[in-house]
Amino acid sequence: MAIKPEDILKAIASARGNAICVPTMTTSPAWRTLAPDDLSIGCTGFMGGASSLGLGLALAMPERRVVVFDGDGSLLMQLGSLATIAGATPRNLTHLLFKNGVYHTSGAQDIPGGLTVDFVQMATGAGYRKAYAVSELDDFTRRLPSMLSDEGPLFVELHTGLADKTPMTDRGGQPFHQQVESLRAKLHKAG
Amino acid sequence: MPESIPAPLIIDTLKDTFREARGTSQREPLGWILSVPDTHQKTVLAALDKERALRVVTCATEDEATAIGAGLWIGGEPVVLMIQHAGLYASVNTLRGVAMDGKVPMFYMIGLLQRERDRDPKESRHSMVRFAEPLLDTFGVPHARLEGPNDVHLIPEYYRLSRQRRGPTAVLVGLETS
Repeated sequence: MAIKPEDILKAIASARGNAICVPTMTTSPAWRTLAPDDLSIGCTGFMGGASSLGLGLALAMPERRVVVFDGDGSLLMQLGSLATIAGATPRNLTHLLFKNGVYHTSGAQDIPGGLTVDFVQMATGAGYRKAYAVSELDDFTRRLPSMLSDEGPLFVELHTGLADKTPMTDRGGQPFHQQVESLRAKLHKAG
Repeated sequence: MPESIPAPLIIDTLKDTFREARGTSQREPLGWILSVPDTHQKTVLAALDKERALRVVTCATEDEATAIGAGLWIGGEPVVLMIQHAGLYASVNTLRGVAMDGKVPMFYMIGLLQRERDRDPKESRHSMVRFAEPLLDTFGVPHARLEGPNDVHLIPEYYRLSRQRRGPTAVLVGLETS
């Protein structure tokens, strides 16, 4: 049975420490509730850019873990980012892919290839240090500490169901420029 | 008439630009170059391969370069993007979404491949050359032409301008660098 994305996010919220998180699309509404004012920045208004935004943060702040909550439809929009990330070798980047086989936000149309697309093979082929899939919540929670500490770039394909909310059914959250300003201020204050 | 700009001059100018941006917190890398390889600026990219003070990240697309640049800037790192006009056209949604709507300073060096030596870019026979400045104007992106070695002062000026206005700025590299 597919994992509920909200259960994954709850586990991450408890375990992430001072990691910077980069949610996108259907992980955004739930993450806003779980981590309302923290070191997060949503990829809003440029679908597909979460992995690259996360890479930039990881390169700028090598002492911090950066965790990207990507979507399968989103990643397909900038699939080359797998190679760019692998080439840049950020040791502190964890790239989580919430795989549900559809563009949930826009009405749940199938992504090209649907659930048969194997992103683990793609990440492995691109040169990620480690890539694997997780289909059970217990397995996810057991492996979460290593996901947040293993040397990256690390890729995990999470076999999930649909989130309860999408950015279309639950609008809100800060505009992107406010998130940018807020995260930058917090990071610089933290030193 | 436009002249070619030597790669070492551009690299020295970038280093000075980054030193100024870092202020008192000098460290290496001095700054980051995010590039999607550009025929027009290939001598600069080749010279950057040998540079230890600057870190180059080769990106698969200009969309990536812009989003990576945003992450680096949020993290406090100075960044310059080196792309080609075709890449500008390919990445306008990210330019809008990240640099403009996100109010993220983003300084682009854009190669005008096929820009004719004897013709104003706006009158170029090549649409790639002809539409670059009008596109930047449409998006309200301040831009200037690098038409020769005497224009490299525009690099730090437009870099600073991107910081002041919290958004994108660009210089257009007129002839292939030497």
